[in-house]
Amino acid sequence: MASWRFVRIKIVYPIVLVLLFLIDGNLMSSFGTLLLHPPFHIVPTLTLIWLFYGIQFEVADHVPFYFYVIGIGLLFDIYYTGILGTYTVAFLGAAVVMLKLRPFFDERLMSGLLLLLIGITVYFVVTYLAGSLINISNLSLIPFLVKELLPTAVMNLIIAAIGYYPVWSWYQRLI
Amino acid sequence: MRKLFSSKTAVILMVSCLVIVGLITGSNWWANKTNTPPLFQRVLNDVTGGVSSVISVPTNAIGTRANSVSNLLSTFEENKKLKSKLNGYAQNQVKLQTLEAENKSLKNQLGLKATLTDYETVSAVTIARSPTTWQSQLVINKGAKSGLKKGMPVMGDSGLIGRISEVNTVNSKVTLVSDNSEDTNRFAITIKGSQGDVNGILTDYDANQKLLIMGQITETQAVNPGDKVVTSGLGGLMPDGILVGKVSKVTTDDYGLSRKIYIQPSSDLSRISSVLVAKTEVGS
Repeated sequence: MASWRFVRIKIVYPIVLVLLFLIDGNLMSSFGTLLLHPPFHIVPTLTLIWLFYGIQFEVADHVPFYFYVIGIGLLFDIYYTGILGTYTVAFLGAAVVMLKLRPFFDERLMSGLLLLLIGITVYFVVTYLAGSLINISNLSLIPFLVKELLPTAVMNLIIAAIGYYPVWSWYQRLI
Repeated sequence: MRKLFSSKTAVILMVSCLVIVGLITGSNWWANKTNTPPLFQRVLNDVTGGVSSVISVPTNAIGTRANSVSNLLSTFEENKKLKSKLNGYAQNQVKLQTLEAENKSLKNQLGLKATLTDYETVSAVTIARSPTTWQSQLVINKGAKSGLKKGMPVMGDSGLIGRISEVNTVNSKVTLVSDNSEDTNRFAITIKGSQGDVNGILTDYDANQKLLIMGQITETQAVNPGDKVVTSGLGGLMPDGILVGKVSKVTTDDYGLSRKIYIQPSSDLSRISSVLVAKTEVGS
């Protein structure tokens, strides 16, 4: 019975991960007027939030987590940008940092959101550096932090807070 | 002294950094150079695009409803403006039809098969937009099967929005004019000024003001805010006469030697639900 439960999470977790990866792109396209309202540039990161839930609620221990992280990063690079590496490293960097810091945080909502904030910051700093590397960045660091990272973090933290307890109780039933 | 890393870890970290930097710069170079992505990438893009187009149905529907509500609030003012413009519209349409017929017969007399103003359009729906920091790319639901090729110009509801940057079998990527990647927003354009045309290329995009920038102009003809900007067709790949926008303001560079012209794009680049891809008849 217990082994079937682990198999179930191994199937459900990556399927939801891929669905959220696609929904991120759909949201950006359908709600562009809202998300790309100047001077702000807000990016939905539901994929990263799902990885955070996996780490925070200790699902990562029961699934081949790094395999999923690298897989979704590669898919992201191929489907959305056509440039390999940037988002693979961004997802991997955010996941490694969140996993390493997880023992210092507990399961309370605010504690979890702080861990996600760190993950989001790592994710965006990596994409900023990669953009500078191939000369496609159009903002210097401070405007980038104020106009992109800050509003993006606020929106995604609110989404993560809304889904926090429902996802937690769902995971409890799955594993 | 306590070591931060073991020698083995340090070597692994260094090699990983080099591989990642090489991968990012190499794949960026390859994507710019090649016309079609490798088979594996194409198949993956086609399958992902297929699933994404199913998922996009509800999110698009919700987005359209939300947009309709916000549009409704400005309907009264818009209606007044449109009514005032409508009077001249019917007359212009008749004039356009007459000129088109005359143009066709003159081309026949000259024996011209196709010119840069001849192009047909393929309509496509936006499946997704890259949720990324820098690249402004769309995924549309038409690809090589519908005759699309890399470099073709793409139009939104009322003018140029970008060009095709990657073609898969049943979907394609469109890089928007707001993308800052090298070569992506370098469109040859003409400003239809009162004292004659001013030719140049789009050189940049100002994300804060949502304005396109035409830089390094040394021609001296007067350019005024409100002048229309269209594609010039110079370079041969791009059709002539696709509306880009209108001049918003004109400034000089820091040394006062050349002018910098800011252009208001005619299409709204933040929400693009459907597009038209222009297939030029010259050279195809």
